[in-house]
Amino acid sequence: MQQAIQLNNVSKEFNDFKAVDGISFEVNEGDIYGFLGPNGSGKSTSLRMIMGLIKPTSGEIKLFGLSLADHRREIMQKVGCIIEKPDFYGYLNAKENLTLCARASGIKYTQGQYNDLFQLVGLAGREHDKVKTYSHGMKQRLGLAQTLIHDPSLIILDEPNTGLDPQGIIDLRNLILTLNKERGKTILLSSHILSEVQEICNAMIVINKGKTVVQGNVADLLSHETLHVTLEINNTPHSINTLHTSIYNQHIIKESDQIFQLMLSKNQIPTLISTLTQQGVEIMRIDYRNQLEEYFLKITNA
Amino acid sequence: MQLQAQENPKALISTLNRKFNLVQDYTADVKMVFDIPGVKMNNMNGKVFFKRPNKFRIKAKGIFFMPKQNPMQNISTLLLDTSAYTSVISGYETIDGRSCAIINIIPLKTESELILGKFWIDKLDPLVRKSQITTKNNGTIESSNTYSSNAAYTLPDQIVIKVEVNKFKVPKMMSVDLNKKSKEKDLSKQKETGTIRMDLVNYKINTKLQDAVFVEGKE
Amino acid sequence: MGGFGAILKNELYKTIRRPRSFIGFVVILFICLMLQGAFYHDGKELISFVTQQFESVFNIQGNVLNGNLICFIILQTLIVQMPLLVALVTGDLVSGETASGTLRFLLTRSASRTQIVLAKWLSGLFYTLLLLLLLGIMALFVSHWIFGSGDLMSLNSEGLTVIRADDINWRWGYSFLIAFLSLSVVASLATMLSCIMDNSITPIVTVMAIIIIFTIVGMFDLPSFDVIKPFLFTTHMIAWKNLFEDPVPVNDILFSVGILMVHIVLFLSISVYYFNRKDITT
Repeated sequence: MQQAIQLNNVSKEFNDFKAVDGISFEVNEGDIYGFLGPNGSGKSTSLRMIMGLIKPTSGEIKLFGLSLADHRREIMQKVGCIIEKPDFYGYLNAKENLTLCARASGIKYTQGQYNDLFQLVGLAGREHDKVKTYSHGMKQRLGLAQTLIHDPSLIILDEPNTGLDPQGIIDLRNLILTLNKERGKTILLSSHILSEVQEICNAMIVINKGKTVVQGNVADLLSHETLHVTLEINNTPHSINTLHTSIYNQHIIKESDQIFQLMLSKNQIPTLISTLTQQGVEIMRIDYRNQLEEYFLKITNA
Repeated sequence: MQLQAQENPKALISTLNRKFNLVQDYTADVKMVFDIPGVKMNNMNGKVFFKRPNKFRIKAKGIFFMPKQNPMQNISTLLLDTSAYTSVISGYETIDGRSCAIINIIPLKTESELILGKFWIDKLDPLVRKSQITTKNNGTIESSNTYSSNAAYTLPDQIVIKVEVNKFKVPKMMSVDLNKKSKEKDLSKQKETGTIRMDLVNYKINTKLQDAVFVEGKE
Repeated sequence: MGGFGAILKNELYKTIRRPRSFIGFVVILFICLMLQGAFYHDGKELISFVTQQFESVFNIQGNVLNGNLICFIILQTLIVQMPLLVALVTGDLVSGETASGTLRFLLTRSASRTQIVLAKWLSGLFYTLLLLLLLGIMALFVSHWIFGSGDLMSLNSEGLTVIRADDINWRWGYSFLIAFLSLSVVASLATMLSCIMDNSITPIVTVMAIIIIFTIVGMFDLPSFDVIKPFLFTTHMIAWKNLFEDPVPVNDILFSVGILMVHIVLFLSISVYYFNRKDITT
């Protein structure tokens, strides 16, 4: 499988501060990658380096097998991105902004193509409004439109959910999946909403303190991960005794009155619920953190 | 007669005035050459109009400088009004080989604008070869006249007017000449002489000029 | 259209659509109409302020207050304002987009940074040209329409020079070209500062500060200033006035043109060099 992105030992220093310290990772073509890291981990600097906005101090960046330093023009024709937040010329309307994008990408759009694009991102009917009148969510949608205007093979999205309403988040999720599955686009998605990443991405890269912490298939990475489960049952001797005598007793890490903290794998949770209910234990509450969140916090020592 | 005329300024002036009276009006083509300190101006062609007693105009396309006390206009007017002045001969001088009497004209009235008029009048053929007119408001203006074909009408072919002008000073801030270095100036000399030369040809005399010709803007 | 042409077209489009571009046009219209109105009513008195040194002795005859003189005065008056108007737009070309974030929008497309900065610089020159064209129409043509034509009595530190009306059109042509070259230096300087700085106000203020300081240095005839004066671009920005001298100091003008062009090349080269190495962190 060809790599859409390859970073080899890439570093970036700003004066004395090392923002990225020998980072290396690959993004395979055709996958949806989650790009994760805590604030200040070097995530944004890395994305900017991939898009040629920041020049690395050392190391090599390749996209589609070509060196970014030497083949920027060809590479950029195949990449679309939203970095940080989509910014537009507020004194122009949405269509005029997209026309500038299309022209800068060397393509000519027909009215029909514009209509389709505005329809796709949910801005149909607002294309002639000045962008300065747009809400953040609408700008985010327009940002997606400018990302897609030249039909790139690789799409880099930095926090694309920011400002979107719940319906917008669902629409975006569906759009990303459609672009990947139906049009074969490779997507690198940076997001703080880890449940979203877990739901959409099939691979992920986690960086921390400017270094790559882990990268790989999401399912593989999380397969051996346990969850921190909080269980509240009815406060009767029978219920508490049932839990203590079950196989789950060994997973209890903390308890107070009828509230128990357990470490379980994800597929143990349904069995726990059915076992306890069958034995007459009333479950008042059960909740657990997202598995990826758990994993993320663990590997980044947060 | 000639000897008497030499000694008597009034006789010389009287002869001269008779010639002045021959001309009621005239027009001529004029070429003006300017040499005025602080002013750069190309030569200019125009047309001169004169009508007695003292209507005078130079019509030309563009900007030009003329002395406020223009000798072309003033000399005849001044000399013809014999009741307004007294005249004395203050000496003799040869100009261009012509022997001239220097006649001083002193106004009789103290309120007169004229302070002193000095005329170099040809003794043999009374014509004003040179003049120096000093007025209260406009300083001294000197003119030198050269005559040929229209000498009988006292109309010169060339007049050279010399005027004393103050040194022209423009503050650098006002001229906005940042790219110019101010030249060293001779501050001891506050006055300089400006010259205007007028070459006159194609005289047309006594053609009954209309007054309208002398109104600016009318043809 | 593709490549550089497309980028240039984008930049020109943005330049003519930006609200701040119109400030320059409005200011020029206002200043020209204001001066023309003032000269229409009180022109004779203003003129005699200049010519009073001669008027004790001479009558100045002919139409002194004509379209050529008004144009000359307007051009001279705008020597301070025009660079400000040019800097207002060109000082914001790169830094404004850096600050607003739209620079990311530009730099993540296939055009190279050199193409982008050149397109921005050219659009700045185009705007400068539009300003000058408006000034030319207002100062020269409208003034001629109001005041008529005539010889130009121009004032410089050595006195008055009268340029005949039939010998003036070519002088206006060249003087507007030199004025364009002078303002192009300002546009190039503003573009350079705009590449270096990340907010839109600082380059504009810096350009004006440089012009004011250099202009003050140029105004004083001090030996220490005289050494550096020939190399300050502001010294040569009024080289257009030399065209209204008689005879025209051709060598002086060519020297000024040379100095102005060296400045343009220098400022543009620094802009391209710096912009290519700039990290976009905003």
